[in-house]
Amino acid sequence: MIAEEPRVDAARVTDLAQSLEAELARLIVGQQALVRDTVIALIANGHVLLEGVPGLGKTVLVRSLGETLSMSFSRIQFTPDLMPADIVGTNVIGDEAGRREFHYQAGPIFANLVLADEINRATPKTQSALLEAMQERTVTVGTQTRPLPSPFFVLATQNPIELEGTYPLPEAQLDRFFFKLLVPFPSERDLLEIARRTTGGSTPQLRSVADAETVLAAQRVAREVPIAEHVLLYAARLIGATHPDRTELDSVRRYVRWGASPRGLQTMVLGAKVRALLEGRYNVAFDDLSAVAQPALRHRIFLQFEAEADGMTADRLISEILEHTVKEPAKA
Amino acid sequence: MNSLEAIIRELGRAAARARAARYAVHALVAALAWVAMVLVIARLTPFEGRALVAAVGIPVVLAIAALAWLIRRPSAAVLMRLADFRLGLKERLSTAWERRTESGPLDDVQRGDALRQAAGARLATAFPIRVNRGEASMIAILAIFSLALAVLPNPMDQVLAQRQADRLSQARAAKALQNAEKKVADSSKPTPVDPQVQKILKDAAAKIQQADSPRKALESITPAEQQLQSLTDPGTPALSSSAQNLANALSATSAGRTAAQAITSSPAKGAQAVRDLASQLQNLSPKDRDELAKALAKAAQQAQNSQMRDSLGKASSSLKSGDTTSAAQALNDVASQLDSLQQQQDTDQAVASAINGLESARQELARQADRDAKGQGGQANAGAGASPGASPGAGASPSGSGNANGNGNGNGNGTGTGTGTGTGTGTGTGTGTGTGTGSGSGGSGGSGGTGSNGSGTGSGSGAASTERVYVPGQPVPGQSQNDPTPLGPGQDVPLSPYSQVIQAYQQAALDATDQSLIPGSERDLVRQYFSQLGEQSAAGPR
Repeated sequence: MIAEEPRVDAARVTDLAQSLEAELARLIVGQQALVRDTVIALIANGHVLLEGVPGLGKTVLVRSLGETLSMSFSRIQFTPDLMPADIVGTNVIGDEAGRREFHYQAGPIFANLVLADEINRATPKTQSALLEAMQERTVTVGTQTRPLPSPFFVLATQNPIELEGTYPLPEAQLDRFFFKLLVPFPSERDLLEIARRTTGGSTPQLRSVADAETVLAAQRVAREVPIAEHVLLYAARLIGATHPDRTELDSVRRYVRWGASPRGLQTMVLGAKVRALLEGRYNVAFDDLSAVAQPALRHRIFLQFEAEADGMTADRLISEILEHTVKEPAKA
Repeated sequence: MNSLEAIIRELGRAAARARAARYAVHALVAALAWVAMVLVIARLTPFEGRALVAAVGIPVVLAIAALAWLIRRPSAAVLMRLADFRLGLKERLSTAWERRTESGPLDDVQRGDALRQAAGARLATAFPIRVNRGEASMIAILAIFSLALAVLPNPMDQVLAQRQADRLSQARAAKALQNAEKKVADSSKPTPVDPQVQKILKDAAAKIQQADSPRKALESITPAEQQLQSLTDPGTPALSSSAQNLANALSATSAGRTAAQAITSSPAKGAQAVRDLASQLQNLSPKDRDELAKALAKAAQQAQNSQMRDSLGKASSSLKSGDTTSAAQALNDVASQLDSLQQQQDTDQAVASAINGLESARQELARQADRDAKGQGGQANAGAGASPGASPGAGASPSGSGNANGNGNGNGNGTGTGTGTGTGTGTGTGTGTGTGTGSGSGGSGGSGGTGSNGSGTGSGSGAASTERVYVPGQPVPGQSQNDPTPLGPGQDVPLSPYSQVIQAYQQAALDATDQSLIPGSERDLVRQYFSQLGEQSAAGPR
């Protein structure tokens, strides 16, 4: 019987993911990979940084996800004048039984799903207000630390082209994001579909397919997915290969200033576990690691200026690393 | 599929088959490469037994491949990983195998999933039996290359044949020395120098066999001959001549005729006869004593040995003065010297026998060295040379008139040429010397060679010579003289019969040619010269 329960849970995770994807697909045209990676991050209990030009549906995706999950949802529009207290809340004076005393006014961060829209427009001080929330899942105001609701899922967006008046996220902040997802421009066929869906008389209404408990259960199950030693070793090799002093790739030695952190390894393994479940498997495969390598590592590899000059991107480097890292050394 | 163990078994069998095929192909490539390498080396350098070495390499390579196949079996984990990789099972089997003893929340589910997936897959296809195209091409190329190397003529074959012929020649030469050594050992007249003679022959045989080439082997002949020569007493010819002169002188007397015959027969018999004569001196008539004294005086005058001369002179003077006791004593001294002569002759006989063996070996080696020099070493056995007739008393050819009781030395040289039609010509020459009680002439002959295609035989005959030709020099040691050795007119050097010294002359000439690295053709001229002399000697009196 002990073995039966996880089987049910694992199947439920797969069903949950498929339901989420199916429901989101009613509103989001194309972008299957984006949706899949977002769901993976959700079940892996990680946060997502969405990067894309305006109008690609980033906000729609997050809002739609909030609609499909019966969880609290809040949206924070980051602006240069946004203050940390506007996010985490603050103590305000109020009347309490005839007495005037401070009481805590919770900020919009206290929600299961938080959309941090255009996060790079806020000042570093404000951005750093998210650090504790994203990593510790608590908020400290004054001397009191308060836990955030669980599950806690931050989806931040940023625009890569409008850099004037923006504040690039610091490395420590970037490392808190489980995935950094690039929102691609839709294909021609997807554009047609978008036009049809959004310019008509009716807009699809999304239904809720899961609640917080379901998501939390899925997160617990995902962590139990077994991974073989040689697969884990492959993940470690991938991480090692992103470091210029440990890689055998000339391009990494030339272009990379600093490689992925151990948190990158954790992200890859956890993301791969979720992906395995979503694929209907109960073990991590090399393919799972390869599939999550770019969203998990692209914001954790810091490039030299020379890379920018040569048009080298983190994604290209990761592709090279995946291509050259040995998966199966044994022969027979 | 019932269990992971069953999967492992099936994968193991499939992998074993695939690896066996792959190792077999590897082994085949290695074996062919080995054969080709051996054959290539055999074309660059003389390589004896190359076929054996090449053949032995094949099972060795196969055994190594089998051993490697046995030892380097993949582990179960590796089999599972490879099956995952090749069957697209997404690491299901390897994870399940690695965590087969784990009991995590999803482990049972994962194992079940792995077994289901494995059941739907053809596990054996993870380890297909296939031959790499490159290896197949390599096998074909190596096979053709090896076959060509094996079939096409190898220039080193001639060198190898020459080496083999050299070895055979050296073995035959060594065998000739062993025969001579055996002959000395089996001699009915053992001498004190026999062990030394045998040791010299044994050492020479060993050196010949160990020599790198017949030419090198030849270098050990002359030192051996010199060692043998040193064993002989140089005074023997003088003593022998004195004894013969004594016999001639006594043969003219009635009292000494018996002793003369005995001396002529052998020094030992002569010694006994002289002792008998000494014991009967008192019984002789005055006339016989006077006659005997004159004969002894004449013998003393002709004696070249001082002791013999003194003893004979003393016997003669004592006999003349009527002192038979002193005369008897002096004759007993003569008898002792005859005994000594007998022993010296026995020694010389043994040495001569050994030298004959050395000469046989020399001729064998010289022929092979000549062939090597002409680059015909590989056909050493095709053109057979003359077989020397070197045994005492056996030197006479079928047409010769050698005395069966005599001692004979024969040398034969033969050449054979052949034509494609199978006819050949051969010539043989021989020289011989012999002493005996009868006519005392020795004949020797050699048999001619045989041609490579046809056959040629030659025979040399040594006819008994009726006229003696004397030349200055010493006779060959160990050979008895049939005739007394007179001093030539105005000469103080004793003369020896031509037939007895021709061998020594020839020997000296051939030694000189052997040691001075004269080309084989030139040596043939020298040999031919002496052969012709031998023919002339045998053909007519001189």
